[in-house]
Amino acid sequence: MEMQRVDVLVIGGGVVGCAILRELSRYDATVALLERNPDICEGTSKSNSAIVHTGFDAPPGSLEARLLAEARGLWPDIIESLHIPYLQTGALMVATSSSELATIESEIIPKAERNGVVLQRLAREEILEAAPYINPRLTGGVLVEGEGVIDPFWTARAYCENAVSNGAQVFLGESVTSITVEDECVYVHTGGGLALAASMVVNAAGLWADEVARMAGDDSFTLTPRRGQFIVVEEDHGVSQIILPVPNRISKGILVTPIVFGGVLLGPTAEEVDAKTDLATTAQGLHQIREGIGKLVPVMAGAESVRQFAGLRAVSSTGDYIIRASTVSSRILHVAGIRSTGLSASPAIGRYASGLVRDELRLSQRNHFMDELPGYLTGMHPDEGDVVCLCRSITRGEILFALRSPLPPATLDSLKRRTGVMLGDCQGNLCMARLIDLFQEQLGRDPLTLAKNVAGSCPIAGRLTGTRWEGQG
Amino acid sequence: MSKPYDLAIVGAGLSALSALQAGIASARTVVLDYQDAPGGFLKAALPAPGFEEAWELVRSSGIPRRVTTFYGTTAVGLLPAFEVGEPHVLIARQRGGTAEIYARRVLIACGGLELTREHAQIPGTRPAGIITPVLAHQFLSRGYLPGKRAVVYGGSRYVQATAERLAGAGIEVTLVLPPKGEVTRAAALPPGDQPELPGAELIAIEGFPRLEKVKFRRDGEFFDVPADTLVYGAGMTANTHWLKGSGIIMGEYGTIQVSSFYETNVQGVYAVGTVIAPSLDHAGSIAMGKELCIRY
Repeated sequence: MEMQRVDVLVIGGGVVGCAILRELSRYDATVALLERNPDICEGTSKSNSAIVHTGFDAPPGSLEARLLAEARGLWPDIIESLHIPYLQTGALMVATSSSELATIESEIIPKAERNGVVLQRLAREEILEAAPYINPRLTGGVLVEGEGVIDPFWTARAYCENAVSNGAQVFLGESVTSITVEDECVYVHTGGGLALAASMVVNAAGLWADEVARMAGDDSFTLTPRRGQFIVVEEDHGVSQIILPVPNRISKGILVTPIVFGGVLLGPTAEEVDAKTDLATTAQGLHQIREGIGKLVPVMAGAESVRQFAGLRAVSSTGDYIIRASTVSSRILHVAGIRSTGLSASPAIGRYASGLVRDELRLSQRNHFMDELPGYLTGMHPDEGDVVCLCRSITRGEILFALRSPLPPATLDSLKRRTGVMLGDCQGNLCMARLIDLFQEQLGRDPLTLAKNVAGSCPIAGRLTGTRWEGQG
Repeated sequence: MSKPYDLAIVGAGLSALSALQAGIASARTVVLDYQDAPGGFLKAALPAPGFEEAWELVRSSGIPRRVTTFYGTTAVGLLPAFEVGEPHVLIARQRGGTAEIYARRVLIACGGLELTREHAQIPGTRPAGIITPVLAHQFLSRGYLPGKRAVVYGGSRYVQATAERLAGAGIEVTLVLPPKGEVTRAAALPPGDQPELPGAELIAIEGFPRLEKVKFRRDGEFFDVPADTLVYGAGMTANTHWLKGSGIIMGEYGTIQVSSFYETNVQGVYAVGTVIAPSLDHAGSIAMGKELCIRY
């Protein structure tokens, strides 16, 4: 087995790992990323509310609050240079009782001020005029102007693709099986047989970061999964802002969140679950969402849904982000416990973590860093305008553009997240066979091994042998 | 602006083919369809027992020679005429790019989309192996098998034909009828694959990354069927996303509202088939296409 030498190895291809990889690719160093799934963005980063938070409600003084504040200033440039779909919708916190209104005055507004975010008080009538879909029982509320929604898949993929354009290496489908810390470097072996020797390892393994730490003999923190279920509604019923309840001690509550490419999300629930793989929705959870949302936006209680899903976020034993050296070696940097604000803080986490690596390894900036991705749909061929995804009118050209990108999608779901195919009413049943054809035609992918998302999720199980069906089609 | 067509038909499925065969086309008629050939989404399932008339219609294609056909062409928008006498404009996407098709009358016959497990908000995991009948047929017609052991859930003749075809491909099939299923004849399935009667309600999905178990409730009792594939055939919804913003009045689930002459609220724009009645089966679509020709 040949040992590959790299300066920095990032473990984990979620939005945080990808953001760090991008920042690291600014330096004169060899950088690489390991992702255990067939594609990036398969964990917490793929199933969340896709909100870019201002951090108005973060615990003041925490690392999380500091990085969220810093990220606010970094987003505009990143959105522009990586062409990330983004909508600054603003968020409206709605009180439905006088005690909730009191909580806004006594807790929410002072906390936001300490976090450097100004909230705008709105009277009941003002809210109902601007947002007539809100339950008329409301007593008042506040507007958080700076909150917005983003395409989270695009964000992770664009970070990663931009890093690849600047020379970073990405290994997909490679799970870490062992970590050995030596004086001079850290040895990492993978399930696929890779052997890497890194001067420094960044542990950005999301929900599994505590287990990666343990492989290196570091049990200084633990992460537990908290499940959030969501309901996707295609018809927005006029909702154009994030609508959130006044949080209580247990949870931030159930929100309505516009989706950047249309429709709204209802959720999430907040449930402690045992397994880090428990992504099932439950009748009880879905009912809880409908019930909760009915109090805020009554029309959403019975709105037709095209999809439901669940995501898991990492809750750390420390209560804050864990961004520090491992207790066993300064050659391992943990970036863990990023709970539900990882997407929002990712620009700042990338800078902060890569800065710690730079200082440790004394890296210098490269002469050339290309911080932009090529524009969307540039290089689209003129005869590729026919529609493949009927529900969303997505053309063959848009799909081919994604399949021909520097980091092509490795699974059907990653093509879905790049283009929007399979997200409409039919959930991919009409076009999936054609998408599989395109994977085969463009990338030479064997239809029998093409996965939906994770290993073992192939929609096609075998080939018809013998009597072939004699119909059209 | 090129000379407008007298009639533009969106969709070349059963209701459109039936109307064309019954003589709806005038001298300047154009038909456009998302697929590369006529027959709609049913085409991949044909021929099948009980679908003789549909198969005949698709195979012979009742489209007269004088009719212009644009396949691989998808309507993505409709701009109704501002004034009576002016043509309507269909925006369509095809290989060469975006096309504008002008027509004095438009017939919307673009059918439906299958309802999914997600539409019914059935809880559980989200594994590979959950498909609809259309995808099952598309896989089989390409020579792919969706799994080894399938639960086929639905009460229509189409679902029944799907179960039979899967069984014919060597897949172990259990046909489960929903509470309101209408079975018109016994499915020709091997012994042991007979439907679970009476109807059962699908309540949850288990297994990941591949489907392992489908859970049902019948008369207050629960039972599981182990399977790596669920073919979910609960019916259709109207395929009318592309009409958003057109001013055409749509009811629940995007179903287009029409008069007894199949005319929508926009003068000169008609609709027929699944797009106005999602519960219509293949025979119903054929009959409605014929009827349209008489009334319209």
